Amino acid sequence: MAKVIIYSTPTCVYCKMAKEFFTKNGVMYEEFDVASDMKEREEMVAKSHQLGVPVIDIDGNTVVGFDQKTLEGLLGLK
Amino acid sequence: MYDLVIIGGGPGGVAAGVYAARKKIKAALVTDTFGGQSLVSSGIENWIGTKSISGFDLAKNLEEHLRAQAGIDIIDGDLVSAVAKRDDGTFSMTTRNGKTLETKYILLTSGSRRKRLGVPGEDRFDGKGVVFCTTCDAPLFGGKTVAVVGGGNSALEGVEDLLQYASKIYLIVRSEILRGDPVTQEKVKSHPNVEISWNTVVEEIHGAGEPPFVNGITYKNVKTGESKELPLGGIFVEIGLVPNSDFVKDLVQLNEIGHVVVDHKTQQSSCPGIWAAGDVSDVLYDQNNISVGDAIKAVLNIYDRIKKG
Repeated sequence: MAKVIIYSTPTCVYCKMAKEFFTKNGVMYEEFDVASDMKEREEMVAKSHQLGVPVIDIDGNTVVGFDQKTLEGLLGLK
Repeated sequence: MYDLVIIGGGPGGVAAGVYAARKKIKAALVTDTFGGQSLVSSGIENWIGTKSISGFDLAKNLEEHLRAQAGIDIIDGDLVSAVAKRDDGTFSMTTRNGKTLETKYILLTSGSRRKRLGVPGEDRFDGKGVVFCTTCDAPLFGGKTVAVVGGGNSALEGVEDLLQYASKIYLIVRSEILRGDPVTQEKVKSHPNVEISWNTVVEEIHGAGEPPFVNGITYKNVKTGESKELPLGGIFVEIGLVPNSDFVKDLVQLNEIGHVVVDHKTQQSSCPGIWAAGDVSDVLYDQNNISVGDAIKAVLNIYDRIKKG
C-alpha cells in the first residue's frame, strides 16, 4: 500500500475533502497540521516549493491542492 | 440523449437537480465539486432554515440531497469544457475528462471563479505568499505582516480570518468605500491591527529567496498617482469574481462582465434551449438563496417546455 502524507491546516476545506476521499477509498494516511507544526511546515515547503495547503505526498510524489484525478492515478484507483 | 444537462453543483445546480429528478426529467448534472463558492466559507449565517453552517457542511448537505434522488445522472469530479449547438437544435458537449454528452436543453449554474489581479509577480508567487484561499492558508501566516486586497465581503472575511494569526493586516481598497456587511465592516475598521489603505491598487508583487517567496508589493494611490513600496510576508487576493461562462460565449449573449443575460421571468438565455441561473447569470444579487430560487424557476420553465414537446 502507498505511503500517504497530508499536510493540512484545521481551517482548510480542500484538506477535509482530500481526507474524506482517502477514507472513502480505504487509503491510510498520516496527517501533519502545519498551522502548528513548524518542523513539518518546513518539510512541506521543501517538498512542494510553496506555502499553501493541502500538500499530499504519495510515495515521494508531491501533489499541491486537492486534485482527485491525479490522486486516483498515483494511488492506482479506478 | 438527455432532456436536460445541468452544469454546476452549487446551491443553484443542486436545487435544479432535485426538482428535475422529482419531475422525472431525464437529466444529468456535471460538476467538479459540490457547494459552489461557499465551499471555503468558515461560516454561513444567512442560509435560510439553518442558523449557521460551514461551507463544507453545506456542500455535504447539498450533495447528499441530490444523491438521494432517483433517476438523475451525477457526473462529478469533471467539468464541461465545450458546448456546441447542432443543426437539429440539440446540444453536444465535451468534458475535461473526455466524456461526451448530448442533450435537448441546458441549464447553466456554473457560478463564478476568483478574479486575479493581473499584475507582475502574481503568477510567479502564486502559493509562495500570494494566496487565493484565505480560509485555507491564513494559519500559515502567523506573526507576519500581510495585505488583503479588496473591499467587498470576501476581503472583509479574509481580514477576519487573518486577525487571529497575522500581526498586522493592510487592507488595500481601490475606492473610498467598503462594500460588504456593515457588521463585518465595523469589526475590521475598529481593529488596531488593521490599517485600511484607501484609493490604492497593487502594481507589482515582489519576492526573493530560494524557494522564492513574497517580500513586498508596490502599490499606487489612484488619486495622487504616487507609488510606494510595502514590505509584506503575504498577500491575499479577494477582489471579486468572474463568471464561468467561457464555454458558452459563442452561443449566448453575455454582458460586459461575462454574465449570461437572461429573461428574469423564465431564466432563458438568448440561445433557445439554454437557461442560466445563479452567479453565472446577470442576476442583480449573488446569493445562495437567490440562486436556488432562480434555478428552480428555470427547471419549471424547462419542464413546461418538455411537456409541450
